[in-house]
Amino acid sequence: MKKGDFIIIATVALAAILSVVLLFSLSKQGSRVIIKQNNEVVYDESIDKNVNFNTGTNVVVVKDGTVFVSEANCKNQVCVASGKISKKGESIICLPNKVMVEIK
Amino acid sequence: MSSKQSDGRNKINIKRLTLYAMLVAVCLIVGYLESILSISLTAIAPGIKIGLSNAVVLTLICTGDIKGAWAINIARICLSALLFGSPISFFLSLSGGVASTLVACLLSRLKSVSIIGISIAGGVLHNVFQLVAAVFITGAGVVYYLPILLLLGGVCGAFCGVMAQLIFIKSKIFKY
Repeated sequence: MKKGDFIIIATVALAAILSVVLLFSLSKQGSRVIIKQNNEVVYDESIDKNVNFNTGTNVVVVKDGTVFVSEANCKNQVCVASGKISKKGESIICLPNKVMVEIK
Repeated sequence: MSSKQSDGRNKINIKRLTLYAMLVAVCLIVGYLESILSISLTAIAPGIKIGLSNAVVLTLICTGDIKGAWAINIARICLSALLFGSPISFFLSLSGGVASTLVACLLSRLKSVSIIGISIAGGVLHNVFQLVAAVFITGAGVVYYLPILLLLGGVCGAFCGVMAQLIFIKSKIFKY
């Protein structure tokens, strides 16, 4: 480890902290849930409406102001593992099925 | 470092060509093993990988073989996209790979930065540029992964840097 290494580590740490502060100060609670499949909107409702929406490939659950994917028929299960989202601009994406869940 | 040191009969140094082919194979195997491992890490951020194959590229950069590093990295990205990936994953890893190799080449010229620092910078920039590419593909929502990607890029980069340093010290195969 040399001097330049510590400068790089410090810069990265600073950038990480700064990005957390920026993103959290800018983020707002979302109001609408939009689900797109093959770039077409298949669902567009308020986030307060509790629903289990099945796109045919993925099951999207909207519950108590949070949104998550409970089931997917693809093999990587990235969207299921993505967890819950609730803030404006957040999204869950399933690349194999071309499904995108977005909060606006 | 230069192919001119060979006996002049062959334009391409056979020993080096074999080494490159072997290193690309190592990169692909490591990348495949990682993709199995990454499923358990997906809960932190989708599709996260340690990027161990970058340790190979990094070692090559530190031996001064910049051209070889580029060749292996581009070959690795194209082949792994063909074998395990999709067009989207190809563009994601290409954008990250080119950015991180570029910064690694530039930093390797500085005497005050060691292989670990190069690796950290490369890992972080890899993630940042991959995220930029992801914004173009999926939309601005993915910027929420930025903090975790910065952090993990640093941690994984440090890990790869240590690995590359160990390989560099122990291995004699790079002294062709």
